[in-house]
Amino acid sequence: MAEHFIWRHSNSGGGTESFVWLHGWGYTRAGFQRLAALFQKDGHNNIFDLPGFGETPMLFSGAGTSDYADSLAAQLDKNQRHIIIGHSYGGRVAIQLAAKHPKLVKAIILIGGAGVPRRRSIPYKVRAAALKILGKLARISDQLLGTEYRQAYTTRFGSEDYKNAGELRGTLVSAVTENLGPVAREIKCPALLLYGDGDKEAPPEIGKRYETLIAVSRYVELKGYDHHDILTRGAYQCEALIKSFLKDLDHE
Amino acid sequence: MAAKKVIAVVFGGRSVEHDVSVLSGLQFLEALDPGKYQGLAVYIDPLGQWWTGDALTSRARYPVEASNNKDLTQLSLDLATPANGRPRFLAFQKSLLGEKRTEIPFDLIVPAVHGSNGEDGSLQGLMEVAGIPYAGCRTLGAAATMNKVFTKSRARSESINVLPELLLRRPKKGVFLDPDGLKRDMKAAFGDEQYPVIVKPCNLGSSVGVGKANTMDELVGALMAAFRLDSDVVVEPFVPNLTEYNVAVRRGSDGQAISSAIERPARDADLLDFKNKYLAGSKAGGPKQNTGASEGMVSLNRTLNPTELTQSQEQFIRNSAEKIFDTFALAGSVRIDFLCDGESGEIWLNEVNTIPGSFAYFLWEAADAPLSFLALTDHIVQEGFALSANRLGATDAATSGATIFTRF
Repeated sequence: MAEHFIWRHSNSGGGTESFVWLHGWGYTRAGFQRLAALFQKDGHNNIFDLPGFGETPMLFSGAGTSDYADSLAAQLDKNQRHIIIGHSYGGRVAIQLAAKHPKLVKAIILIGGAGVPRRRSIPYKVRAAALKILGKLARISDQLLGTEYRQAYTTRFGSEDYKNAGELRGTLVSAVTENLGPVAREIKCPALLLYGDGDKEAPPEIGKRYETLIAVSRYVELKGYDHHDILTRGAYQCEALIKSFLKDLDHE
Repeated sequence: MAAKKVIAVVFGGRSVEHDVSVLSGLQFLEALDPGKYQGLAVYIDPLGQWWTGDALTSRARYPVEASNNKDLTQLSLDLATPANGRPRFLAFQKSLLGEKRTEIPFDLIVPAVHGSNGEDGSLQGLMEVAGIPYAGCRTLGAAATMNKVFTKSRARSESINVLPELLLRRPKKGVFLDPDGLKRDMKAAFGDEQYPVIVKPCNLGSSVGVGKANTMDELVGALMAAFRLDSDVVVEPFVPNLTEYNVAVRRGSDGQAISSAIERPARDADLLDFKNKYLAGSKAGGPKQNTGASEGMVSLNRTLNPTELTQSQEQFIRNSAEKIFDTFALAGSVRIDFLCDGESGEIWLNEVNTIPGSFAYFLWEAADAPLSFLALTDHIVQEGFALSANRLGATDAATSGATIFTRF
């Protein structure tokens, strides 16, 4: 199936290098418009709409990051090694791709990349466990007694992404519950890890964790940027750090 | 690895263009190469007080109110730099043991203050006195180009096409404008075909205080409005079928002036005033998003590299812009604005902005040889260091034999 499934994308720029841009959850390829424009002279840029977003249809119900990576691998040029740039959820796909299809990947660059569990306080864990039980009880009650507690539960406690996920809910749930730590350990290519110090969704601790997991990695924390504006007003900071990383790659 | 140079970007200021300057300053900081430089945000509030602090980098922090500045540190600039090595700001913080003085050293100042007290050579002069390296135009070029009439007189002597003008001085307090005298002056300046005219403050940019007048009554009204902002006001004939073209110029590595892409700003109203120049598409007074891609001069709708320009028109714009850049020995990224009669095709040089909104980076990114804002900030910083280092030779009295007091 994967061979026939095409991810819609825009391509621009030119040169020998190939950049593959993977956006975050809730975004489309337009999210990279600002940043990718700064790499026109450095290589060929393919900016994808991930399945289920923008113009690319869903892969299949409940598809996980590993499925996304396989599907992407099927359509990348096999004669070349690509530089994969992933923001947030796109970072998860980049990790999977680099681990499962190493011959296709020259390097990965995560910008606020997600994928490893965050350290949580005990009160947070207690609350999360209680909510999980509550959600299950609501579902059981709905099934047995015909109540509509589950919807009320989602409205009250579900995240914005969860509420808006629609048919992608299974994909979202599998992503937020998975731990890519063991997968990251398998990565042999170099990785650049860029995290805004004000990022609440994918905080610096995730980047630091990846730095310990990926053998050849460089972690940089950008002061004064969050999960989203790192792509817009932080575009030049990212440009500078990515270009100096690429320069070092070529010298190795 | 050598220590990163600390680049103090000074923005805000006692100027009607204060808010635009905040955006330009923050954009410059965001485009500094983090591998080479460490940015330092320095904000001048409308009262002229200098502040620093991490909170300044967030757009949501503005406007900064006097009652809400606990997260900021007030600064004073140490003017005794030549005696003490590296330039520095001084901060005073009250503690239990009295007032504590801290020093914040830096290496270069980038003036990002638009308009008065920043773009007009005054801030540059202060840096010269203190011997502090700074970026962009030197004092003379900044001051001279701030005055629209002086700029035009120099352009005329360089055979660059400019509109005729009438310069008016603010009447003394308690004295009204004299309509009869004004009529005479108008006739002397423009002949019988006088209206419509454009009225603009002589020493401001960003189209602040610019008005159009079709009659004597409207002219008096427009003059009163402009005199509130400037003691000198320029009246120029209104260009029919007006189209504006802007181009930026900088100095290339070979010493030659290089021009950027040309832009044609979009126009809804008869005239590009401050509101549709900077507030287009956004609700005035609405909350500012903390994004950087579309704001200030960048959010202005524009056509880059307009195709309607003939080769000779484009050549005129580029040659005039580069010539005026050289005439005033300018530096940094300077934007030069032109007026064009869309029907006749005639083009006039309008004004020179030595610290243009957003440093005109969008014009460089769209140039034939594109230059990213990241590379532009590097150019501006490096050029600033070089210009400041080259400025003066020895200042020791003995070198010129001008000693009076005996030295041991």
